[in-house]
Amino acid sequence: MRKWLEAARQRKHVGAAGLAQEAARILSESGGAQQARGTVTELPDERTVRYYITEGLIPPADEKQGTASLFGYRHLLQLLVVKKLQAEHIPIRKIRELVTGRTERQLEKLLGAEAEGGAASKNEALGYLESLLRKGPQPSAPPPAAAPPQASALTGPPAAPPRETWARVELEPGLEVHVSDGYRAPQTEGALRRLTQSFLDLLRARAGHVPRRGGK
Amino acid sequence: MRGAKPRVEIFTERAKLAAGREQTVDVLVRVTPPEPEADGSSRRRLNLSLVLDRSGSMGGAKMLRAQDAAAYCVDQLLPADRLSVVIFDDVVEVLVPSQPVEDKEGLKRLINRVSARNSTALHEAWVRGGMQVSEHLDAGSVNRVLLITDGLANVGLTNTDEIVSQAKGLFERGVSTSTVGIGADFNEDLLIPLARAAGGNAWHVAEPEDMRRIFAVELEGLLAQFGHDVSLGLVPSDGVRVTDLLNDFELTETGRYRLPDLQAGSPLDVVLRLRLPERRAGERMRILDLKLGYTPREARGAEVLKEAFEVEFAEAAEVERLPADPEVSKAVLLLMNARARREAVSSMDRGDYAAAARVIDDAYTSSLRLCASMPADADAAAESEELYRLTGSLRERGSDSMSRKILQYSADLLRTSRKKR
Repeated sequence: MRKWLEAARQRKHVGAAGLAQEAARILSESGGAQQARGTVTELPDERTVRYYITEGLIPPADEKQGTASLFGYRHLLQLLVVKKLQAEHIPIRKIRELVTGRTERQLEKLLGAEAEGGAASKNEALGYLESLLRKGPQPSAPPPAAAPPQASALTGPPAAPPRETWARVELEPGLEVHVSDGYRAPQTEGALRRLTQSFLDLLRARAGHVPRRGGK
Repeated sequence: MRGAKPRVEIFTERAKLAAGREQTVDVLVRVTPPEPEADGSSRRRLNLSLVLDRSGSMGGAKMLRAQDAAAYCVDQLLPADRLSVVIFDDVVEVLVPSQPVEDKEGLKRLINRVSARNSTALHEAWVRGGMQVSEHLDAGSVNRVLLITDGLANVGLTNTDEIVSQAKGLFERGVSTSTVGIGADFNEDLLIPLARAAGGNAWHVAEPEDMRRIFAVELEGLLAQFGHDVSLGLVPSDGVRVTDLLNDFELTETGRYRLPDLQAGSPLDVVLRLRLPERRAGERMRILDLKLGYTPREARGAEVLKEAFEVEFAEAAEVERLPADPEVSKAVLLLMNARARREAVSSMDRGDYAAAARVIDDAYTSSLRLCASMPADADAAAESEELYRLTGSLRERGSDSMSRKILQYSADLLRTSRKKR
């Protein structure tokens, strides 16, 4: 897939039909349309492209050639990703979340085209490690642009003690449970049983203190 | 083996489900990659860096065993493989730059000369090992760093989250990392998450004598690698809900579960808990579609296997009479016990050792029931034996750091169907 994308990087496609045609060509030539067990991804056509644009899955063209829309690499990449995710039965809503606001690199990664080239990822791994060494042990993560260096969440001392937040859940009128955001419910049967039991014990103990109507 | 696909089997405890009520049912999904070829002719090349701690605490038996294990590693490799060795204390030294494993004796002589010294520059040493592998990164090889330490990172970058996130970054660029923690004084809260994020295995060597065995298991795993980037997608039918995945696998960006690497011949068990709607006796229902994605070794693209799971409903009395498959209850129990271990660790960290002991006691009792129903099963026996030892040490010592390590590591192994034997 990488090979086909490399070739397509500088190309422009005229109209939704042109874009669909290029995507269909790449899918069929790269074998990208062929899923395991013989199911085949449907190749995109002009209508599909228009539909995706309406649905916000692909951005509209940002250039024109005469009256026709001119699509670029970004559009092609996003169309290929959408087709791939659709073939994996991922709902449109989720696909929209996954593709919007992504860089070309991230889209290539979603397409699985990134990890393929041995040479490219070799330099990448080495470059990455060299950058880690250059960065050195002290501020180990680049702090957010606006924040002063000591505010780095990973290395600097915390600016303020971590705040604990609690959610109030009303079980029934007069009975509330407060749950800390750091709380993890027990996962095993035994621990759940013990928790339920202490809750019941608590309720019973309280019930013992409730003055009976008409008593005394 | 080329072209062979893993087998995906789906089981419920009994062949049919009871009609006439809503129910929760555990489903075992067993993924079995094909057996490795007997002659090993198709084995993947290894591009390996051993990153070995030589800080002061590694002295004596630990260093000798580590050297022995490293020498064993050299013996197992082929001339087509690459090996580098990085040693570290407060200074990091590339003892053996990455090279084909041709002069085995020369390599072993170098390794045997290493002696223990100062403090622990774990992070930089890992980076250097990664660089040795990266310089010869090859898509057809298993590219891996094996980090061996008995101590806490105390020189250079020491922030756990940051090291883990860097290891994940390197994995995304093609180099995985496994970790071996020795003894009771290292930081398992660094070494386990690191290996998990970096696509490798986390091993614990309680006694130096176990070192060679752990190396053997790690190497076997590397050689048996069948597929990586493994994911599982679940599409329940209308009215069916997936309420739990007992392995607690992470979700990927696309809503799939991220599974460990597939190893030739070793089944991976995944257990789902499903909530099913009411159906009449005699009815059949397609309850779930599964998609297993993976990248076979030496292949460029991902493969996807699809399976649909259909069940038949019958009267409750008929279902009761059907034979029960003990494999399903065994898989459920082992995964629940993995959770019990993690829960015990949380309790220990809160200082509530009594609660930790209770949770493990409960798990032990369940493991005894499993042993009773599967008397010949080695996994069931190993499970109850380990829990028996743990209940003892938790009751006696409470805050024992070795118990905490054993709990964490065995929870991780159970979750991923890996065996250390």
